[in-house]
Amino acid sequence: MKQYIVRRIGYSLLSLFLLSLTIFVFVRLTGDPATLLVEPGASEADLQAIRVQFGLDRPIWVQYWHFIASFLTGDLGESFYYRTPVLDLYFQRLPNSLLLAATAMTFSLLIGIPSGILAAVNVGKFWDSAGKVFALLGLSMPSFWVGLVLILFFSVYLGWLPSSGSGTVWHLIMPAFALGWYFAAAHMRLTRSSMLEVLGSEYVKLARLKGLPEALVIGKHAFKNALIPVITLAGINLVVMINVAIIVETVFAWPGIGRLLYEGITFRDFPIVQGVVVIGGAMIVMVNLFVDILYALIDPRIRLES
Amino acid sequence: MSRQIITTTRRGVLGLAAAAAMGVDSRAAASDGRLTIAAHVSLAPTWFDPAETAGIITPFLLLYAMHDGVAKAMPGNSMAPSLAESWSMAADGLSYDFVLRPGVKFHNGETMTAEDVKFSFERYRGTSHDVLHDRVASVEIPEPLRVRFHLKAPWPDFLTFYTAASGAGWIVPKKYVEQIGDEAFKKAPIGAGPYKFVSFRPGVALELEAHEDYWRKKPAVKHITFKVIPDESTRLAALQRGEVDMALSIRGELAEEVTRTPGLTLKPTVGSAPYWIYFSEQWDPKSPQHDLRVRQAVSLSIDRKTMNEALTLGFSHLTGSLFPENFDFYWQPPAPVYDPGRAKKLLAEAGFPNGFDAGDYYCDSAYSNLAEVALNNLQEIGVKVRLRPLERAAFFKGYAEKKMKGFIQGASGAFGNVATRAESFVVKDGTYVYGDYPEIDALFAQQAGELDRGKRTELLRQLQQIVYDKVIYTPLWQLAFISAVGPRVDQSGMGLIKGFVYPAPYEEITLKTHT
Repeated sequence: MKQYIVRRIGYSLLSLFLLSLTIFVFVRLTGDPATLLVEPGASEADLQAIRVQFGLDRPIWVQYWHFIASFLTGDLGESFYYRTPVLDLYFQRLPNSLLLAATAMTFSLLIGIPSGILAAVNVGKFWDSAGKVFALLGLSMPSFWVGLVLILFFSVYLGWLPSSGSGTVWHLIMPAFALGWYFAAAHMRLTRSSMLEVLGSEYVKLARLKGLPEALVIGKHAFKNALIPVITLAGINLVVMINVAIIVETVFAWPGIGRLLYEGITFRDFPIVQGVVVIGGAMIVMVNLFVDILYALIDPRIRLES
Repeated sequence: MSRQIITTTRRGVLGLAAAAAMGVDSRAAASDGRLTIAAHVSLAPTWFDPAETAGIITPFLLLYAMHDGVAKAMPGNSMAPSLAESWSMAADGLSYDFVLRPGVKFHNGETMTAEDVKFSFERYRGTSHDVLHDRVASVEIPEPLRVRFHLKAPWPDFLTFYTAASGAGWIVPKKYVEQIGDEAFKKAPIGAGPYKFVSFRPGVALELEAHEDYWRKKPAVKHITFKVIPDESTRLAALQRGEVDMALSIRGELAEEVTRTPGLTLKPTVGSAPYWIYFSEQWDPKSPQHDLRVRQAVSLSIDRKTMNEALTLGFSHLTGSLFPENFDFYWQPPAPVYDPGRAKKLLAEAGFPNGFDAGDYYCDSAYSNLAEVALNNLQEIGVKVRLRPLERAAFFKGYAEKKMKGFIQGASGAFGNVATRAESFVVKDGTYVYGDYPEIDALFAQQAGELDRGKRTELLRQLQQIVYDKVIYTPLWQLAFISAVGPRVDQSGMGLIKGFVYPAPYEEITLKTHT
């Protein structure tokens, strides 16, 4: 078991190293940030002054070494645009992202799980078809479009909700819905397929043969087992919602991490992009590591096979 | 595909908006002396500190509110005395004296002195730092309200760089900055401008309060909030709902929507960024571009009026000059003419009766819509080009490295005056110069050492005329920046300062008393 955990931690560290290297190289392939920090047509002297100021004139391996060395001491560098430590910016935005992600996740689970169960126990009937349409719309409609339509309908036309920003519960409703719908659709699809699999299993058939009421079969025996993959997916999705709700946060001017990443990309602010991606990646790697260890603890076959 | 979706979406969305546009929500965002401005970009704390000013215009959006300079562009005067009442240059051109305005109060109540001016210059570390510090030998304080800058050699553009092209001449309180340090200053800036800093939430909002003791006049609006709304459609929705009073940068179809919405007004302002087509092969005798008639034909083929109406609702300024019209030493060339018939005739005279293949047409991809219109115009006279849109960084890198052959659709919004612009774009060895003309180089060298303003103006006028006569460039337009204003705003401040695209001076902004 100890060997298994050590190996998983090793894989996780390797993943993080590769992620940091990949994002470091790829963000630099997008071009020279100095051109975005001056007006178009600025002189070469102005551009060079910017490069020197941000250490971009140094060889790339020196920059990477500096990035890794700083990262290991908890320093993600300073934003070119905000001239503020990236970690400070991240933690300023984190509460907003957590609030939005938690609300959107609650919405997505409250809608996705019951509708998935309803679709699974009514295969081929109206509720199944309605669920498919709901999922299709949620997965296919671009969230920026959903966001704009919500703003125009509920803010401009009806005047019920503020169009953008943060600060009150009213500000939260539209972005949480726009973000949550996509994930509700994904959770609905997974709940449905997971429930169908469980409902076809031997122990469920046995429960039915024993004459247990259908509500008890579905609610107690089937649902609990079908929920495991949904919860696993929801955990990963929560991390995704926190870190990459770029479009929804931009449309609704929600000051979260997704918008910070958007700003980083827009201004070619390398430290922000690197920092947000590496922290987001670290969160996903840690969730996976935790799940792997949990699986090994629960299922002896996994640790024996490994 | 994605572009099509966005267009369709915007139209659909605008349809809804039009249905909703029975008028603008009258909830009073501007009541009790409050004004809310929806900003199109996230506000950076570095913009709170003049010492950090990069070579872009955006920081001046906030500098004009929180700070003040020894001299700055104001309505009707591109270099108006502000914290300095007057200035003079020594006869030998080796020093400049500034006489400071007495009794100017910073937001913390301290009185501005010459020490603050010297300190602000010395701590400036923005883009023009090297240019200024390489040429200024020392700063002396002969009297408490007098500052003298000693130059290493005569430099006619000193004032341009010190007051207009950098933040070096924007004054911060020495005692306060030394007391709290540079980093803390960005979190709690103190200036001498018409508005005081109250609070800042990164990516969300900046709150300002009127500085009652502002030397020029007491601001009419008590509180100003800058609310960051990056999406253009959302900014417009916020304006329509009355959540904000001004929305910066509303373009294209959304700007048209503003014209259809009762209560909203478009406020186009023309900045300092002309766009042009550069003939990068005009020095190659084998290239058709070498023939002046071909370059003239290209200029005559461009339907700038239609281009302007289609892309910026007719608000951009059509220009025949490479230089911005608000720049010092600007010479007004004749207005550009659209005459495809004459263009074809000129091409025939040059030996291209059926046109020719002109190779590539490079542009910054953000402005490929402008290039597409130009391409259609060129096609009409038989000049065939292939559009090569490049991402901005790649475009300017290729442009500066002189790798682009064919036509280059360029632009510049860099600060300066006609001389500094010429240095980068027409004079030998300039960053974006693919070839040179000896007479231009000679005039440039001559003006660089000329301290007599009248003579220098004449030299730079001649230089601009040669650029025009030789059709080194085909200027297209000076781009308009379009914003929108809600019904409660009386004077928005937009367009008061020539070439400045944001609301300023802030102390001039007023709200309607009855709305």
